[in-house]
Amino acid sequence: MDFAPSPEQAAIVEAVERLLGGAAGPERAAKLARTQGWDEALERALADAGFLDTALETGPLEAALVIEAVARAGGAVAIGAGVLVAPLLAGRRLPGPVALAHAEGREPTRFADHARTLLLCEGDRARIVPLEQGDFAPVRSVFGPPLGRLVRGLGARGEQLGPGSGERLLAWWRVALAAEALGAMQAALDTTVAHVKQRRQFGRAIGSFQAVQHRLAHCAVLVEGSRWLVYEAAYRGAPAEAAATAAAHALGAAGTLFAETHQLSGALGFTREYALHVFSLRLAVLRLEAGGPSAHRRAAAEARWGQA
Amino acid sequence: MDFAWSDEDEVFRRELRAFLSETLPPSWDEIARDGPGSDAQAAFAREFCPRLAAKGWLTQSWPREYGGRDATPWRHAILGEEMWRCGEPRSSQYMNVNWIGPTILRYGSEEQKARYLPPISEGRAFWCQGFSEPEAGSDLASLRTLAIRDGDAYVVNGSKIWTSYVNHADHCFLVVRTEPDSKRHHGISVLLVAMDLPGIEVREIPSVVGERYFFEVFFTDVRVPVECRLGPEHAGWDVVSWSLATERVGAARYARAADTLDELAAWARERGLLSDARLRERLGEARALCEAARLLVYRVIDLRAKGSPPSADTNLARVASTAAERAVADLALETFGPEALEYGHFAEAHFRLAMTAGVAVGTTEIHLNLVAARFLGLPRE
Repeated sequence: MDFAPSPEQAAIVEAVERLLGGAAGPERAAKLARTQGWDEALERALADAGFLDTALETGPLEAALVIEAVARAGGAVAIGAGVLVAPLLAGRRLPGPVALAHAEGREPTRFADHARTLLLCEGDRARIVPLEQGDFAPVRSVFGPPLGRLVRGLGARGEQLGPGSGERLLAWWRVALAAEALGAMQAALDTTVAHVKQRRQFGRAIGSFQAVQHRLAHCAVLVEGSRWLVYEAAYRGAPAEAAATAAAHALGAAGTLFAETHQLSGALGFTREYALHVFSLRLAVLRLEAGGPSAHRRAAAEARWGQA
Repeated sequence: MDFAWSDEDEVFRRELRAFLSETLPPSWDEIARDGPGSDAQAAFAREFCPRLAAKGWLTQSWPREYGGRDATPWRHAILGEEMWRCGEPRSSQYMNVNWIGPTILRYGSEEQKARYLPPISEGRAFWCQGFSEPEAGSDLASLRTLAIRDGDAYVVNGSKIWTSYVNHADHCFLVVRTEPDSKRHHGISVLLVAMDLPGIEVREIPSVVGERYFFEVFFTDVRVPVECRLGPEHAGWDVVSWSLATERVGAARYARAADTLDELAAWARERGLLSDARLRERLGEARALCEAARLLVYRVIDLRAKGSPPSADTNLARVASTAAERAVADLALETFGPEALEYGHFAEAHFRLAMTAGVAVGTTEIHLNLVAARFLGLPRE
């Protein structure tokens, strides 16, 4: 057991943060969120610097650290699918951005209107679908990330993977979601802590009121718990139970973080000039993916105790 | 980062489980029904702890010269998990090995180590903790029990409350004020008090948590030899803080909660109740809380293994443990329904244990205060 990052892990985080320092950040994210933009330049920069090969070249835990860092910097890229899910499922880098979806339904899917590859979870099997212009149409939304809706049948296009690949896809998807939520939660919490330290009412910083402190401290407990569940699940290669448990906790926590950070930011939190919405709305989006917290919780229980 | 147990740790856990299955008698569930403080469990511990000690397991993470084996804190954490899982056969001795002994190791003189540590590492000692007072609960630094120096002794007057395990304790880890007019964290000292000294009176406080669970201890002109003071005179708050940080994640409550949840799920599966998606969802949610608490406690042990000073990570872990325990208790009661009301039912036993989680060793509010101040850096006023 060792909870400290190895020198290599620390170096990866430092390197990706250095890249993000110039190519991402809340201001850029807020601007992109306004038009539901996809940050093509950032995606290319991450690819050129080799970060999208992290999972295969170094390991899934290191890839999760990259996802977390990108989410913390508000990076508007399909980072979870690109750095973790796609390479570990396909065993190679797939043309990005990569979108993730369940086979049934035509619901709004993150990055699908820009995606060059779609990973479909079809029950027991996964399918890698190369996308063509016009497969997806953009969906307008205030939540920030680009969304696409499937507008025509995909037929039997693409490469179907073997039995069990559907479960693998879902498990990595859950770890990626939880890692992204972790980064966004951390950023939302940091933003709010900074706000309550400087915002004064009744002659004192509102962060000195116990009612405020306890709520943020509770958020910190949820974020830190999510952190270690994500790292452990990634380290262990996303076994179904650990992956679902991490997602259950992190995406459940994401709901609390959304509500509390907005409540404690007041009306400022609704504005486009203040960065909170970049992270909070992303949390709201992440909560709806792959079945949401209820599905993650049921999956955790089913993996541990069976279905009936 | 590395989230795997070492081979040696895995072997130790297996050996420990085998030892437990051959050592715990068929009547163990009956013995453990009333909790670690019961007379039955303490009597069992008098036989059991020396056997653990003989195996070299009771205090293996202590230095070799004081009855340990220089093992990592991880080894002691495994012991704690396995003990809490089966209802703590060490009885109150878990406190000795988790924090009382370590605090004496850190702050004690060589004479004190030689006097107090062997009985602990040999599994013969029973301690209680004299911290809370009627007017000093969460605000521990407002404590009033006075210990006035008189020649070679302190004369102690005052009372402690909510003290567990007094019924079989031979010593008390007692926090007192040695400077009468001192305020807050100043003027405080720690005394290691033999419970058979004249002037100590004990009264049980009947409680719904369990029988012989809480006591009040009265000190009237109790003469405690000066050599029983642990650490510096008047500056004992550091000793108290360090001991609290060690205590707060000592009991592996998350492990007990996770086991109760496993039992609950097995019971539900046998009856076909797991087909209920809502129940599966709540089981999964509670399981995630148990796992988060486990990892947050491991984080503290990791820091301890590296010699880091106590930090707010301890408070994060404690809040998470409490949340896990409560979620499991609520779910167990709701799932079993009125059956869970019968005394000794495992859901009921867990429920009673969980009742105290947010209050014992510092209330949740105190932990949240410390997380706010030390982890988030929020201002006082």
